[in-house]
Amino acid sequence: MSDIIIELDAVQKVYFLDTVEVEAIRDISLEIHSGDFVSIAGPSGSGKTTILNLIGCVDKPTSGTVIVNGQRTSDLDDDRLTELRHRSIGFIFQTFNLIPVLNIRENVELPLLLDGLSENETRAEREKWVDFLIDSVGLKDRMLHKPAELSGGQRQRVAIARALVMKPAIVLADEPTANLDSATGESILRLMRKMNETFGTTFIFSTHDPDIVEEADHIIRLKDGIIVEDFRINEDRSGDTLNFRNSIRATGTKATGTEGSQA
Amino acid sequence: MISARLAWRNICLHRKKSLIIGLIMGFGILILFVGNSLIDTTISGLRRMFVEGYTGDLMVTGPTEFSTTVLGETAGSEEVLPHIAQIKKYEDFLEARQDVASILPILSGQVSFGIGEEELGSGYCFGVNIFDYRAFFPDNLTLVSGEWPKESDEPWVLLSEPTYALLQQSSDIEVKPGTKIIMTALANSAGTVIREVSVKGIIKFNQSNAQLSGITLVDADTMRDLLGFASLRDGAPQLSEHEAAFLTDFDPDSLFDNLFASQTITTEGEGQSELGLEPSQLDIPEDPGQEISQASSTTTVIAEIVPAWQFLLIRAKNGSNTSKLLDDLEAFSEELGDGDRVQDWIAGAGKVARTAVTIRLVFDLLVAVIAVVVVMIMMNVLVISVNERLHEIGTLRAIGAKRHVVRSMILYETTFMVLIAGAVGLILGYILLLIMGKVGIRAPNLFFEALFGGEILRPLISIGAAGRAFFWVLAMALVASWYPTRVAVRIEPVVAMRGD
Repeated sequence: MSDIIIELDAVQKVYFLDTVEVEAIRDISLEIHSGDFVSIAGPSGSGKTTILNLIGCVDKPTSGTVIVNGQRTSDLDDDRLTELRHRSIGFIFQTFNLIPVLNIRENVELPLLLDGLSENETRAEREKWVDFLIDSVGLKDRMLHKPAELSGGQRQRVAIARALVMKPAIVLADEPTANLDSATGESILRLMRKMNETFGTTFIFSTHDPDIVEEADHIIRLKDGIIVEDFRINEDRSGDTLNFRNSIRATGTKATGTEGSQA
Repeated sequence: MISARLAWRNICLHRKKSLIIGLIMGFGILILFVGNSLIDTTISGLRRMFVEGYTGDLMVTGPTEFSTTVLGETAGSEEVLPHIAQIKKYEDFLEARQDVASILPILSGQVSFGIGEEELGSGYCFGVNIFDYRAFFPDNLTLVSGEWPKESDEPWVLLSEPTYALLQQSSDIEVKPGTKIIMTALANSAGTVIREVSVKGIIKFNQSNAQLSGITLVDADTMRDLLGFASLRDGAPQLSEHEAAFLTDFDPDSLFDNLFASQTITTEGEGQSELGLEPSQLDIPEDPGQEISQASSTTTVIAEIVPAWQFLLIRAKNGSNTSKLLDDLEAFSEELGDGDRVQDWIAGAGKVARTAVTIRLVFDLLVAVIAVVVVMIMMNVLVISVNERLHEIGTLRAIGAKRHVVRSMILYETTFMVLIAGAVGLILGYILLLIMGKVGIRAPNLFFEALFGGEILRPLISIGAAGRAFFWVLAMALVASWYPTRVAVRIEPVVAMRGD
């Protein structure tokens, strides 16, 4: 088994809406291994995005511990969290979130441009890498187009390339197929899987689409802010339930794993 | 520089908002540039006219509570301006300085002109030493007819063209060089003083306005007579033995010794003669009785004669710091303790220059008020712009942009807009000023004529005004972008995770 890259322990997140407290997630504990292709599934309001926000270091837990790539996020200030996101995490958003004023090439290159060139890197190498990624997502001929000139699927491909440009350890994708038709959604998922396999990057995506969920090899199901199922799909497509403490065996899933076999 | 690139692209993308802010900035720069250029032209024209033609850079006047113009107009007083008691000390002080180009003492007052018994009009007169005056203001005086007075000449007057025209119109006698005219003035102590002087020539001031062009020049001694100061026309005073002793030994208080034997009376001006001569200036031996006994019935008092002057005009050397000179001179004047007034050319020029300076202050105040309104408008537009880009800024933050990147982006946007709007505003202002310079702005009345320094104002293109306008608007833009920048840098990356 590979190294644990993400660890959540007894995490709770409470939002304050005026005087009302809304508990988005509670007592969440999970572990994600390096190179996993993870799906966080559940209906709207189940806490999928909250967990992604916490893993993505764009939000902090109300209580509990979040460890990303070996760093406890609650110990980090804003600049160090930004640095952690920049170096270790790539983002794919539901609404693509491309910068409208930049062309495709610039959008992909953007995270690199936030840094200067490193000592052992040349501009040519950097450009070659960007071109390679754009080629990999099949948009070589649209490189100089603006996001508004692309279809939804193409934009999401750009977002995938941008998420990978910093060679991050983790890529988070929040409902990456929600705004796409099913065929495009499937192609995006295939692309993510390909990148996962090619670069060994940990992909974590949230979805409420059962077909998409099944593409993952580690599935975390949420309901009302708690994990109801957390299992790994083995190569033979059998499942191991991973998080014994929070697991409430869901019925009607293909999870038939061995209870208590902690990863 | 990704911040600069994003800023520039955002300006291009959000054209309408950029245009609104750009128009405000461009219009602001245009108004400031043109307005300041007009005011600069007026003030520099007035400055040139007064400094090079009438007042010098600075002036010292006799003791007076209020500032006094070179024409002798004193706010709050109609009395003749007193003379500068220790003018020699000022001259010595100023001549020793490196930043002083030249100095000129003058007298000034209002005089009536007449021929024979007939009074024909009045006007302002300067009592001057004509050689010194022409040397001090080399470019401002033109002799229209007649000749320049000589040192040995009898009392003379150089009539200004308007005064000459007035006399010519009002009199049956032809006024020309050599004509005797009567000058009358109401002196402080001497009541009405009448003097006959000979017209030496007709002069014209090259730089002038309706008021200044009427100034007549008269020899200093005649002017002293007219103002009620002792004239030293005949050189050193001839004093009798009695008078000399009176000036030196006589104690006027002793007259009242018997009356107020038990009282000590202190009189003002103790130790100074009525001629404006201090006893120390009189070259009288310590034992006057011994010398006087050898003299005839009159004694020549050999004195360093310091004639009375009301104004001491000062020209500073080019490029020197006149403010420092003014400060030093004020300190020196205070040290002397006579209550003399040291003032700059603006005070010397009077209400015209003060009005121009006031107009500048009012303009600046108006600009400041408008600036506040403009800043509010710009701030609102920028805040709206930032709020519309919450998602974009949140995304930038999520993918690793630190707060300073966001801050730079907003500041770049503001700066680019100032640069573009500034360039457009300055170019339009330049064109407008060129047109104004060609066409000219006609003065609607005498006041504006005085302000413009002529009938038509042709504004100069002032680099200083352009710079001031640009920096004003840049400052306004930066102030206006402060709050939107604050809003932008506080956008949390989690915003990116929310839908559009």
